Amino acid sequence: MDWGKVRFFLGEVLTNFTRNAPMQITAIGTVSVTIVLLGAFLYVRETVASFGAGVLDRIEIKVYMNPDADRKTEDAVRAVLASDPRVLEAVFVDKKAGLRKMRDLLRKELDTSLLTSNPLPDAFNVRVRKPEDVPIVAQHVQRVAGIATVEYAAGTVTKLLNLANVFGRIGVVMIALLLLTAAIIIANTIRLTVFARRREIAIMQLVGATNAYIRGPFIMEGLVAGLAGAAIALGILALADTQVAKVAATIQFVPLHVNEGMLALELLGVGAAVGFVSSWLSVGRYLRS
Amino acid sequence: MARREKTFHAVAARASGDARFFSEAGTYDRDVRLITLRGVTLTYPNGTRAVEDLDLEIDKGAFVFLVGHSGTGKSSLLKLMYREAVPSAGTVIVDGVRVDTLKRSKIPQLRRSVGVVFQDFKLLTHKTVWENVAFALQVTGAATRDVMRQVPRALDLVGLSHKSRMFPGELSGGEQQRTAIARALVNNPKILLCDEPTGNLDPSNTTEIMELLQRINLKGTTVVVATHNVAVVDRMRRRVVRLENGRIVTDEERGFYHRGLGQSQVLSG
Repeated sequence: MDWGKVRFFLGEVLTNFTRNAPMQITAIGTVSVTIVLLGAFLYVRETVASFGAGVLDRIEIKVYMNPDADRKTEDAVRAVLASDPRVLEAVFVDKKAGLRKMRDLLRKELDTSLLTSNPLPDAFNVRVRKPEDVPIVAQHVQRVAGIATVEYAAGTVTKLLNLANVFGRIGVVMIALLLLTAAIIIANTIRLTVFARRREIAIMQLVGATNAYIRGPFIMEGLVAGLAGAAIALGILALADTQVAKVAATIQFVPLHVNEGMLALELLGVGAAVGFVSSWLSVGRYLRS
Repeated sequence: MARREKTFHAVAARASGDARFFSEAGTYDRDVRLITLRGVTLTYPNGTRAVEDLDLEIDKGAFVFLVGHSGTGKSSLLKLMYREAVPSAGTVIVDGVRVDTLKRSKIPQLRRSVGVVFQDFKLLTHKTVWENVAFALQVTGAATRDVMRQVPRALDLVGLSHKSRMFPGELSGGEQQRTAIARALVNNPKILLCDEPTGNLDPSNTTEIMELLQRINLKGTTVVVATHNVAVVDRMRRRVVRLENGRIVTDEERGFYHRGLGQSQVLSG
């Protein structure tokens, strides 16, 4: 390892930074803001996705029989459900079992001994393989005679998830635009540094430095700006994360399955990539002209 | 063509009494020629014709003055030699390399065998003398060991070892130009191209720089100097190539600045 070379290279990078510090700060700030938004977006999206998936997987279709339905109707429903490949399982819950279940559920909140008769009908609890099949299966079962109602909660959930999807797409576009802005600002910063150092570059070219060598410090500059921006953003996100975690702890049913280490690496990668690509293009254009 | 060239040079060699032109077999030795321009025309994008159908040959170890009014193509001619300019027509060969068709990626290699010095020194003001000279080596990726060995040598050659820690702003014009020369030479180039090297200097500094260039030439480096300093050219009595409107009008082996004063006129046009 030739430390003299390393020191010279780092010296050149440092010179680049000090040459136009205000612009550098702007570039780093833009990257930070972009990455904070990107990070928050990815965090929320992943949370919604895992939350939605968890809920959707547990959606059941409840098929309530008429109170006067006989064994035949019950068998007919059973046959329809058994022959349907979309159905994962169908459990028959008769009146008594249903009441027991309800008693268990409501034990603490309600005095169930007040119930003197059983108001519940016989029912099937049906689970399907794919959440999007819920409405189809529900319609299908409804056609069997002797069924009172078919209920499922999927409608609301799918609507919510669709909404989240739309927002997600808007988010992707916005983040893409922000990343582009950050890239342009870094590219401009590098261009200003290149301009400030054009004498040095001219001399480098004169004495036979290769373009790759001339590019080096500038690309390092872009890379460092991108990484610094991402690092600041990660700091902000980590701070926000502890606050969110405090709130989330009070809401029990929200599962937080976000791989934070992975997310942090991804964000650093995005910062570095933005810095690298934009500086590469910026210096490249100067050297080619 | 080859035959004609041979006799042509034989005549030229005899005229200048130079035996180096011949190898032992008595034929012309290609190895002595370092720079060859043949039928070179350079037209800038704005339509200015800087150099027109020009032929020029410079041998290894030569000391050549390019003279003429400003705007006659002296600088352009030098630029063609270090590939700062690409000819619109003709061929440029430097040290056996076709410069006019040289790939962009090969330019750095050429530049390392050609040192260039300018009127305005082109030093980096925030770097010391040492750093300015070392810079030329460092940006070519030279090992620190080589930098530590070569820089003192170059500074010693130009007599600036004792000022290596000073900044260009603290030096006289002559010292700044010597720094620039040290930077041009630190790569051990075969050719030193000087574009008006004394244009910004007073007479005593001018003499100093010209003596330095002469010493460098004696060590074997080919030196080409574009100048319109009459006194310098007349005192040195070296080969003088005179340009007018992008063409060579006279080429004298031991010439004066002004046309027709030379004794042996060779290679005209």
